[in-house]
Amino acid sequence: MSTKSSMGLRAQKTFNNVLTYFFLILLAVIILVPIFFVIVTAFKTDAEISFQNFQWLPHSLNFDAFKNAWELVNWPRAFANSLLITVIVVVGSLFFNSLAGYAFARLEFKGKEVLFIILLMGMMVPAQSIIIPQFIIMRSMPLAGGNNIFGAGGTGFLDSYASLILPFLSGPMGIFLCRQFYSTFPKSLDEAAKIDGCNSFKIYYSIYIPMSTTILATLTILKTVATWNDFFYPLIMTTSEAMKTVQLGLQTFKGSTTTHYNWLMAATLFTSLPIVIVYLCAQKYFVAGIATSGMKN
Amino acid sequence: MTASAAPTRVKKKKKSLTDSRLGYLMILPNYIIYTVFTLIPICWTIVMSFTNYNLKSYEFVGIQNYIDIFHDEIFLKSIWNTVYYFLLTIIPTMVLPLLLALLLNRKIRGRGFFRSLFYLPNILSMVAVSMAWSYLYNTQAGILNKMLAAIGLAPVPWVTDTKWAMISVAIMAVWQSLGYNAVLYLSGLQGIPDYLYEAATIDGANGVQQFFNITIPSLRPTTFFIFVMACIHSFEVFGQVYILTQGGPLNSTTTIAHQVYLNGFEYYKMGYASAEAVILLLIILVLTMVNMKGGNTDVD
Repeated sequence: MSTKSSMGLRAQKTFNNVLTYFFLILLAVIILVPIFFVIVTAFKTDAEISFQNFQWLPHSLNFDAFKNAWELVNWPRAFANSLLITVIVVVGSLFFNSLAGYAFARLEFKGKEVLFIILLMGMMVPAQSIIIPQFIIMRSMPLAGGNNIFGAGGTGFLDSYASLILPFLSGPMGIFLCRQFYSTFPKSLDEAAKIDGCNSFKIYYSIYIPMSTTILATLTILKTVATWNDFFYPLIMTTSEAMKTVQLGLQTFKGSTTTHYNWLMAATLFTSLPIVIVYLCAQKYFVAGIATSGMKN
Repeated sequence: MTASAAPTRVKKKKKSLTDSRLGYLMILPNYIIYTVFTLIPICWTIVMSFTNYNLKSYEFVGIQNYIDIFHDEIFLKSIWNTVYYFLLTIIPTMVLPLLLALLLNRKIRGRGFFRSLFYLPNILSMVAVSMAWSYLYNTQAGILNKMLAAIGLAPVPWVTDTKWAMISVAIMAVWQSLGYNAVLYLSGLQGIPDYLYEAATIDGANGVQQFFNITIPSLRPTTFFIFVMACIHSFEVFGQVYILTQGGPLNSTTTIAHQVYLNGFEYYKMGYASAEAVILLLIILVLTMVNMKGGNTDVD
């Protein structure tokens, strides 16, 4: 890592560092301006955002906007919905994905390669291109939501947790990452365990799972962000107030309060807060997440 | 299996049998869900695109939907909008993150802090980001126009003018993806072995020469990947348009995905929307194949 040493003069190096900081800070300001104004606007009074009396910064920390925004939507319910969906999707998909990832990495069965490639194809299918049949399938689930055994008569899984959870329990990305990760384990590990009389499932949960912290943490982060932030599925699949997720709550908000940008910014702030906290606590896994999921090779 | 070729033959055979059965069992939960919610819907979309299904009844109409969508000015507009969005975003999406990654790759203090900061917009939801920018972009009350006014410039009709609306959507997208792509470039940069630079320095190559002869060629897989993903993402633009502009003004920001949503779930022309969805699927399929081909020749 000592390449820079030959670049010579110390002055040159200092100059380069100053330039680096200059551009970094410039870009940081560009990134921060929108976030900064979301935060300050949330603390402004109605007067401070009005056209006539506009103030760049609030006079005091005023929480009225938060209070008003909090009353417009059933937020406790929305947060509970999002949390429940996120937890079940993360736990469920982690289990199913690592299970399948292990099978694809370590077990021999007919058609393995083909089955894996078919799964990978799913990574590229845009949600909007298959949403119509998904909607109909959800609506036609037999014996759910007032449906008869042929899936007719009721609303099926529509407007229920199932419609927001089920499709995401399978994840080509998760399987792919787990398979890649398990492929790096030495095969002798399996062989030793087999001699000791373990079957493959036991090897999976007593040897592979305990060694999977990195990959499972990375997947947890990826899945948590994706599920918490998902907007398209809840928009299509749910209708009732009681099933609203946080993103839907934030979205419906806009039409009713176009002039109250301070309320809107307050809502934007408190709906983003959980994910920002997760981000601050687990940053290294976010970076690991893109480094592994972004680059496929 | 071959390494432990000793004890009892019968037992070994039995074990490999259970292994293959376990293999199927272990991928089964995933495969059921994947089949029901991805594979079947893909086929179903294609079938439905030949019908006039409207949630109540359907009959087969042959390729009528395909004839109609290619005479539908709004759909054609949405394809153009998607391409336009791509053209607007592609250069900044490729160049700015590379510059940022080069800065972040230098051994300076606080580089972890900067990296976290630049990555932050990426973890925020599309709804939250669109909401924030809807305030920035508002023509009368918006922050951006207030800033322009403060330095004596005329207000810009960011999302209310057909010329500006897509540009505004694009600016927001570049802002949000900057850190993500920078981290991709950064991991690409860190994968370049130091001895290449050391050898070049010994040969007397300066920084600029090293950049164009070592850095850029070494980053080709990353660059290619970001390029293809940018193509694909352009065709999936929905949330930002749905919230920020509702596809307007005068359909100047409607996208293919937005059209599928509108026709399918607002007008319940599901057969028609399916034909549009099939076009979307085909475009992504072609792009993916290009990706795999390009990716392979690059790496191997």
